[in-house]
Amino acid sequence: MPPKAAKSEYIETDTGNKISRRSQIHGTQHIILGGKTVIQAEAVIRGDLYRIPSTAASTDPNNPPQQPNTPSVAITVGRYSYISKSAILRPPSRLHRGVHSYYPLKIGDHVFVGESAVVEAASMGNHVHVGAGATVGSMAIVKDFSVVLEGAAVPPGMVVPSWCVVGGRPARIVGEVGEGYGVEGAEGGLARERYRVVGKS
Amino acid sequence: MSRPFPYTYVSCPCADTPVPDPARKRRSRESPQKQTPERTEAAKEVDIPKPQQTDDENGQTDDEEQTFDPRSPRSNFSLYPPEQLLYCEDCHQIKCSRCITEEIVSWYCPNCLFETPSSMVKTDGNRCGRNCFNCPSCTAPLAVSTIENVTGNGAQQGPWVLSCGYCMWTTLDIGIKFDKPTNIRNQLQKMTDATAQPAFDTRSRQGSRAFGDLKSPLSTLTSVADGQAAARDGGEGQSASNEDTPENTLSNTDSRFAALKSFYRTQISETSNSPNDPMGSDFGFSSPGALNRLMSLYASSSRLSGLYGGNKKSKSKPPVMREALNASEGLRIAPEDEENAVIERLASEGGWDSVASIEQRSQQSPEVRFVDELLPLPVLLRTKRAKRCKSCKHILVKPETKPQSTRFRIRLIALSYIPLPTLRPLTLPSSSSSAPSTPSPDLNALSPLRPVHVLLTLKNHMFDPVRITLATPSVTPGRVASKVTVLCPQFDIGANSDVWDEALQGASAPITGDPRLTGLRGHEKTPEAGKVWDKGRNWTTVVLEVIPGTLPGSEADTSNIGNESGDDKAVSGSTQDQDVLEIPVFVHMEWDAEAQLEQQNVGKASKPDDLVARELAYWMVLGVGKIQASL
Repeated sequence: MPPKAAKSEYIETDTGNKISRRSQIHGTQHIILGGKTVIQAEAVIRGDLYRIPSTAASTDPNNPPQQPNTPSVAITVGRYSYISKSAILRPPSRLHRGVHSYYPLKIGDHVFVGESAVVEAASMGNHVHVGAGATVGSMAIVKDFSVVLEGAAVPPGMVVPSWCVVGGRPARIVGEVGEGYGVEGAEGGLARERYRVVGKS
Repeated sequence: MSRPFPYTYVSCPCADTPVPDPARKRRSRESPQKQTPERTEAAKEVDIPKPQQTDDENGQTDDEEQTFDPRSPRSNFSLYPPEQLLYCEDCHQIKCSRCITEEIVSWYCPNCLFETPSSMVKTDGNRCGRNCFNCPSCTAPLAVSTIENVTGNGAQQGPWVLSCGYCMWTTLDIGIKFDKPTNIRNQLQKMTDATAQPAFDTRSRQGSRAFGDLKSPLSTLTSVADGQAAARDGGEGQSASNEDTPENTLSNTDSRFAALKSFYRTQISETSNSPNDPMGSDFGFSSPGALNRLMSLYASSSRLSGLYGGNKKSKSKPPVMREALNASEGLRIAPEDEENAVIERLASEGGWDSVASIEQRSQQSPEVRFVDELLPLPVLLRTKRAKRCKSCKHILVKPETKPQSTRFRIRLIALSYIPLPTLRPLTLPSSSSSAPSTPSPDLNALSPLRPVHVLLTLKNHMFDPVRITLATPSVTPGRVASKVTVLCPQFDIGANSDVWDEALQGASAPITGDPRLTGLRGHEKTPEAGKVWDKGRNWTTVVLEVIPGTLPGSEADTSNIGNESGDDKAVSGSTQDQDVLEIPVFVHMEWDAEAQLEQQNVGKASKPDDLVARELAYWMVLGVGKIQASL
């Protein structure tokens, strides 16, 4: 795209990420975007909550000192993933042997995170749909082709199997998506189309 | 699950034609079909192919084709989002979840994603046999954690608990700690059955038997050895059982059930006069003596030889089946003061908060009444299922057995065969003066009587080009009559060829469209009758012009009050969701498919590149939006 970027809402990176100027991204050196990722306005991505190497673990877990050496990855987002307005991505954390530490958050390809959803999962597979206002608790694992319904609260540590639909507070498995889910252009496979229209209007 | 506008649903034909028959489809235009009485004449209209036909409506009322009514109560059961539908290659028909049968491929725990072998599923009670538990209070998964968080790197030896990260319930609330972080289910079973036995079905049977042996040899003697004697000396047995109730009441419902089951089994085997009695052996329990005798009387004709004599003998002295008499046999005498104790507890401590809710109790054993009696629930298993066509039994979907895998060995989804419909409102650049549509119409509030253009894109996933014919009723069925016109009802969609082929052929034009269209692109483009809107490699977009009707009773309704009053009695549909603008569209597709081996004509010498003309027709429903009440 020719550089008319000065005015437009989205910054487009070399790999095709479209990032809103009004998004709040912390600790960019700890974030990996797979390319063609969309981050909308007011989305918060907490790359600053990265895991401290075990040597420094005992100092102060709540205020991690900046480590200039090899930046550990806090958040990985795959291709064609879409972080909607006011969504929050936070690396999961856990108290392990008396030390509170953060773990990486991995988000796969073609993932949709709805408006003002909060994601603290340990991993999210490909083609996952997180509805608006949903909460994915710390260290939860959301497998491929699953759907978290709007307003659901996936409890910490829950595993959402593939092809399952979870909803409610706390979230339970309420159904399954059809076999065609995730086919390009159908439900679950709209990521490219979503990406394409961003910044066009 | 309702979807946001705009949406498209595809109707599975099974609702109308229970036995799918491709030949019938072909005849369907001639064959008279039943007309639902409440349908209005206008709704009966089907705008069959030719675009100019939309205005002359009255000439076509003799068409017997039935219009699909998305509002009819039956439609709820036939409309599916396109990705949920399957396609049977043998029946050449769309298949919905009601046209298929399912077979379980594997069982797995949704929490640990381990497969449970089918032999273990029953003994584990359909639940995960590992460390997966759900919170009895809120159903969230429980995590194994230590009580004391030992700082440092020493091996954590502390006692372990299950804790809920959602509602903060822990097993400490019911006073349970675990010694090891593994094999929690066995540990829990040992704790809950005071008798240290694994308490699930078959295993527990031996367990309780062993327990009975251990505790009171007398009771096993009575239960196994001589039932009749014990029944006769009922009083004696009763007193004996009363004596041992306090100390060896089987605490657990499961173990008690198992004890009763084994007890009655032995009773049946003893009292039944025929050892190969089908009632006694085949089923877990059988009828008591009297009924048993009756049954054998009726059944005697079939096995006269051996049993008639025995039957007579038993008539003279029928074997009597006794009931369980002591605790080791599974008898539990309700404590006299149980109810009072419960009431007292309710009144004195805890009150409402201490009582388990109905949802909580529904998952627990029947005696649980208070929250401190709730036990962690092992996670229920889930299944991976293969799906078969109900009519031809061919497999349509077969997932891989491994729980973690998302692959399919066979997956015949409808989307590979029928074109994928997508709908979006047409937004014209503001410079276009002729088009009346606003830049982006709000689909949740369409103004009545103002035309809206929507783009319907059909994307072909087959490797053959298809010819599509769309047809809609010119006026949508239901109380709110919206006018619909497909501007280009007949068009072709290209084949879903290899993307690389195309990229290698002509890198200059990524979207090889009609030259007229590509010429138009960039300029003002106005919806035009008879022309497709846009066209790509394997997709075609056409424009639908929709004039939303007026809601009855709204201020814009004055124009057609005359029609409305006449129709009111005829259209007796519910007024719920009447403002939702849904357009039924009949899709007829034709293509030339390569003949499959078994379908080639046997008589003819069939060439391998033989092409067979195929066609498929179905209804789909386009959810355009909601109509506003006022202009």
